[in-house]
Amino acid sequence: MRIGVYVCHCGGNISEVVDIKEVVSFAGKLPDVVVARDNEHMCSEIGQQMVINNISEHKLDGVVIAACSPQFHEETFRQVVSKAGLNPYMFEMANIREHCSWVHASEPKIATEKAKELVAMAVAKLKLNEPLVKKSISLGNRVLIIGGGIAGIQAALDLADSGFHVYLVEKEPSIGGHMAQLSRTFPTEDCSACILAPKMADVAAHPNITLYAYSEVKNVRGYLGNYEVTIVKKPRYVNMDKCIACGICAEKCPVKVIDVNDFEAGLIPRKAIYIPHEFAVPHKYVIDEKNCLYFTKGVCRVCEKFCPHKAIEFDQKSVEETLKVDTIIVATGYEIFDARKKEMYGYGRFENVLTALQMERIIVNIVKGNPPRDIGKRIAFIQCVGSRDEQIDRLNCSRVCCMYAIKLSQLLKRMNPEREVCVFYIDIRAYGKGFEEYYLRAQETGVRFIRGRVAEIYEKPDKKLVLRVEDTLTGDPYEMEFDTVELSVGMVPGEGTNKVAELLKIPKSPDGFLQEAHPKFRPVDTLTDGIFICGCAQGPKDIPDTVAQASAAAARAIRLMNKKKYEIEPTKAMVIENLCDGCGICVEHCAAGAIEISGGVAKVIEALCRGCGRCVAYCPREAIVVRHYTPSQILAEIEAALSNKQKGESRVLVFADYTCTYRLADSVGTSRMPYTASARIIRVPSGALVTPQLMLKAFELGADAILIGECEQKSSPFLNSVECISDNVERVRKVLKEKGIEPERVKYAEFVTVMLSRFVKEVNSLSELTSRLGEIPAEKRKALSTAKA
Amino acid sequence: MKTLYACIQCGTCSGSCPAGRYTNLRTRLIVRNIQLGLRENVLGSDDLWACTTCYTCQERCPRNIMITDIVRVARNIAFEEGHAKKPHLYVAHMFINTGHSIKFADEHRKLRESVNVSSVPPTVLSYPEAMEEISKLTELSGFKKKVLEREG
Repeated sequence: MRIGVYVCHCGGNISEVVDIKEVVSFAGKLPDVVVARDNEHMCSEIGQQMVINNISEHKLDGVVIAACSPQFHEETFRQVVSKAGLNPYMFEMANIREHCSWVHASEPKIATEKAKELVAMAVAKLKLNEPLVKKSISLGNRVLIIGGGIAGIQAALDLADSGFHVYLVEKEPSIGGHMAQLSRTFPTEDCSACILAPKMADVAAHPNITLYAYSEVKNVRGYLGNYEVTIVKKPRYVNMDKCIACGICAEKCPVKVIDVNDFEAGLIPRKAIYIPHEFAVPHKYVIDEKNCLYFTKGVCRVCEKFCPHKAIEFDQKSVEETLKVDTIIVATGYEIFDARKKEMYGYGRFENVLTALQMERIIVNIVKGNPPRDIGKRIAFIQCVGSRDEQIDRLNCSRVCCMYAIKLSQLLKRMNPEREVCVFYIDIRAYGKGFEEYYLRAQETGVRFIRGRVAEIYEKPDKKLVLRVEDTLTGDPYEMEFDTVELSVGMVPGEGTNKVAELLKIPKSPDGFLQEAHPKFRPVDTLTDGIFICGCAQGPKDIPDTVAQASAAAARAIRLMNKKKYEIEPTKAMVIENLCDGCGICVEHCAAGAIEISGGVAKVIEALCRGCGRCVAYCPREAIVVRHYTPSQILAEIEAALSNKQKGESRVLVFADYTCTYRLADSVGTSRMPYTASARIIRVPSGALVTPQLMLKAFELGADAILIGECEQKSSPFLNSVECISDNVERVRKVLKEKGIEPERVKYAEFVTVMLSRFVKEVNSLSELTSRLGEIPAEKRKALSTAKA
Repeated sequence: MKTLYACIQCGTCSGSCPAGRYTNLRTRLIVRNIQLGLRENVLGSDDLWACTTCYTCQERCPRNIMITDIVRVARNIAFEEGHAKKPHLYVAHMFINTGHSIKFADEHRKLRESVNVSSVPPTVLSYPEAMEEISKLTELSGFKKKVLEREG
C-alpha cells in the first residue's frame, strides 16, 4: 500500500504542545508510508491541495490526516481524497488535538509520543480499509398510515395534499377516533364533531387517499422504499356500493346492543346492524357479528329482507390485500384506562359512576335535547384515575384530564347553574396556551376545586354516592354525597398500538407508549428510517399537539421521499458466507430485525441494519462483521496502541461510541480538561462492536484496562446496545477471573455528551487502578491467547 | 423508608383512614412532617398513636409508600425517645405481669360459655407454666427493662 500521512499544526493548537517534526519523521518511517508532510492548517485550501497533488504524484491509495477530531473535518477530507480519485473510505483521521495536545498541554514530551502512536493506529487501521460504496434505494410516493383518528387524518391530508399517495387503515367501521366522541374541545370550546367532520369528509373525497376502514394491518415486511403490507379487510356484511345508509335495516333489526366501546360509550343502545354515528366515514352500515341473531343463532335476516337496495351480504368473508409502500406512519392512538381496575371507585358496580368519555356523550346528548340519563344536581369529578398511580403501574401524567375535567365541569355548571360541581384533584396542570385562563373561567363559573385524591366511594341504597376524601388544604376528612361521579380516566396505549409496535419493531418507553428516536430532536421519527409515529400512540397529548405531531410526521416522511432515493451508509453488517452456518443467533439478537436466514446462511437487509454490531458480538463463528469496523480493523488499532508501550507505562484503552462518548471526549479536549496520557481512544459506532474476543486480545497484547463508553440508551441510535455491552464485559470479566487477572480492569459506562468530568473521572480512575494493581504478569497475558469468552 | 420522599400529598391516606374519621390523626401530615424533618411534630404528637395499623393507606397509596410501616417505625423511635403514653405503658405492664394485655373478666368468661367454647382461653390462663417463658422473653428482649425504665 502507498500511504500519505499529513500532520496539522492547527495554527499552534497542536504544534505548541506536540513536536510536529518528530511526528512527521516517525510517520515517514512507518511501513507503507511513502510520504509524510505537515502544514499550518491542513483544512486550508493549501493543505487540501497538497493532499490532492500528492495522491497523484505519489500514486497514494490511502491517506491519514493527523489533526482535529473527525467530527469537524472527516467529511471535508473524504471529499478531498474523492476529488483526487480515491475512495472516501480509504482515509483515516488521527485526532491529535482534542485527544492529545489539548488534554496533555503540560506534558509536551508525553503528548508527542502519544501523537505518534495515534498516527500509527490510524495507519494500521487504514491498511485494512476497503473501498466502500454507498448503495441507494429508490423511493416512491406511497405512504401507509395506521390509525384513522385525528392524528392519522391530519397526516393523511398533509401528505395527500402534497401529492403523495396515502393508504389509511382504520380498524373501526368509521374514521374519526376518539375526537369524534368529544363534546367540545378545551380551552376554546369548539364543537369537536363540527370541526372534525369536514376533515373526515376530505379524507373520503381525496383522490390521493385510499381508505381502508374496518381493516387491520396483519403483516409488514421489508424496509424503507420497499414495504410490503398485508391488510385484512373485515367483512361488513353490507355491500359498500349498494348501501345508501337509508337506515331501514337498523330500524327493523330486533337486537339492541349496549357496549361501552361504542361511539355512545354504552349510554344509548344501538342495533346489531348500525352506522357508528351520523357523520361516519365511510357513511355505510355494518353488521356486528358478535350480536347479530343470524351469526349467533342462525335466525332472523330481517335486515336482508327489508333492505331496499339488496346491500346485505351475509356471505362476505374477510379479504386480504397486499400493498407496496415507501414509508409508514403509526397513528394508532390510545385507549382509555379501564376504571374497573380502581375498585375503590366502583366503576362497573355503581351505576352512577361514569367515565369521562361517557360524560362527553351525556353533554352532547343533553345539548341535542336527548339526555340519555338523569345525572342529578350534585356531580363530582375525580382526577388521576389511571394516571400518576404506581399501584396500577401508570406513573405518568395523562396530560389532558385536568383540562377536560375543567371543560366538562364548567359546561355542566353553565348548562344548569343550580348544579353543584366539584373537581377533586391532586394538582391542576393547566400548562398550555389559554389553559390557565380556562381554569380561571371554571372557577368563576362556580365549579368547586377541592385538593384531595378521593379515597373511596360507597353507594347508598338510593344509588347516591358518598365520597370519602381529605381536603388537603384544610386538613379535614369529609364524606360528601353526589348524584353522579365522573372518573377522569387517563390514556393508555391500546391493543392496536402494542400489535403495531411488535410488527414494526418500534421500542416502547417505560410508560408503554411508542418510543421516539430522540426526545428532543427526532420526536416523530423511530429508530427505523421510514417509520414515523405521531399522536397519542407516542404518549398522551391533546388535539393541537397531536395535529402538530401528525403534520410533523408527514413532513418527515416527505423529507425522505422527496429525494426520490435514499443513500445507505456502507458501514453495515456483512456476512462472511463461507463461515456462516445459518444458526440464526444473529437473527435473534438483531434488535432492528435486519437479518434473515435464507439459503442456509444469514443475510443482512442493509436498509434496516444500523451497524451497531450486536450480531458481531454474539456470532459464535465470527462470520459477521460491520464494514469499516471489522474485528481485524479494530484489532489493528489495538495492536498499534500497545506496540510501543514502554516498561513502567500503562495503557487504558477507551472504546468510544461515536454518537456520545467520542464527542464527549472531544468536548473534554475543547474544555482543556487534562486526563491521564495513558488513555488511547478508539472510535467505534457502538461499544457493542468491541467483542469479548477483542477485549481479551487487547489484554493479551498489553492493555492494562479497558473502558467501553456507550451512549445512554435513550439518546443512543441503537436498540439495546448497552445490554449487549454489559453482557460482553461480563463474559470478559469471567475469563479474566479464571486466569487470575483482576476483572475490574474492564468496565463500561453510559455517557451523554455533557458528562465531561464524569468522563475524566472514569478514565483517571482506571489509570489509578492499573498503577495500584501493577503490571499484569507476562505469563497471565500469554494464557489469554487460548481463552474463549 | 426512602419511598417517603416520593409523597405528593394527595391525601388518599387520610381520606382512607378509619381512625382519622374519629380522631385528629392525619396520616398525610405525619408523612409531610417526616419529609420536612420536623421530628417533634411527629414523635411528640398523640395522633401518632391513633393509627390502628389497618394498612388501608398503604394499600391505596398511589406512590406505593409504606405508610403504615413508617408509622410503626416512628412509634418505635417515639418510644425510645421517651414519648410513651401512660395507657400504653399500662398495657405493656399488664402483658409483662400476666401474659395478657387486657384483664380477663367475668363477662369474657360468660361470653365464651354462651358460644360453647372453653370458658378460659388456651393461653397463659389455661397454661400458667407458659408465664415463665413469657417472663424470659420479655426480659431477654429488653422489653421489660424499657417499660420499667419509662414507668419511672
